[in-house]
Amino acid sequence: MEKLLSGLGNHLFLIFGLLAVFGGASLILARNAVHSVIGFLLAMLAIAGCYLCLSAEFLAVAQILVYAGGIVVLFLFVVMLVELTKYKEKGLFQTQSPFALGAVALGFVVFAGMFWKLIFGAPAAQALTLKPEVAQGLDVARDNAQAISRGVFTEYLLPFEILSVILLVALVGAVVLAKKERV
Amino acid sequence: MPSMNAVLLLSFALFSIGVAGVLIRRNALIILMSVELMLNAANLVLIAFARHSGTVAGQAIALLVMGLAAAEVAIGLALVVSLYRKKDTVQVDQIDLLKG
Repeated sequence: MEKLLSGLGNHLFLIFGLLAVFGGASLILARNAVHSVIGFLLAMLAIAGCYLCLSAEFLAVAQILVYAGGIVVLFLFVVMLVELTKYKEKGLFQTQSPFALGAVALGFVVFAGMFWKLIFGAPAAQALTLKPEVAQGLDVARDNAQAISRGVFTEYLLPFEILSVILLVALVGAVVLAKKERV
Repeated sequence: MPSMNAVLLLSFALFSIGVAGVLIRRNALIILMSVELMLNAANLVLIAFARHSGTVAGQAIALLVMGLAAAEVAIGLALVVSLYRKKDTVQVDQIDLLKG
């Protein structure tokens, strides 16, 4: 049973990962900006599923609430606010796209080489496997949300407060930026 | 439980897609969404290592990163809207006020 569950989690992670990659690809390749937003939504939901597979339940729900509930709707608003149809016939991609893609591919190859050595090599295979028996620290609290709140409100209280100030500044800044200029 | 290799490779693929989107697209909105995708790839690694080490630190930091991403989107979209008012476009190659 344990083995079956773990295998199921693995397959689920694979499915969610492929969905996320597909959503990201359609995000950057779609001709219509609304389709891009839909691809973004798909990628965010799939990443929330990946969080679930990694037993971060609270963060999965927060991801769905923040991204699918807030950010995607904001993006859709702005896409419909700015008139994109008159640029439809113009070029979709930058003129330096081949060079940029070449640079990304080069980075992919270099980092994949590093990954190969670090992860798939024989010595690293032992150290870099997920060990559920080590992860008991997450279960000392009764559930995931309790554990996260203990982390955020004790050890990471200062970053949390700084983040709240940043959110306040962003709120005021967004209002000031988006306001019509007085003449 | 998914293996660390799979998580790292997925995160790396998502980050590469985000970088490619920032570099090749002309639309400022899609560039912003690609930045969000990169932040999410980083979050994925943080959560995977939180699971790996058995502490809650990675998940707490991932939560903070999520809040920061929301602030970034608010500012970025406000910038896009105000640019659209001024220049009547959101194509980044047409916003060349500093060209002289």
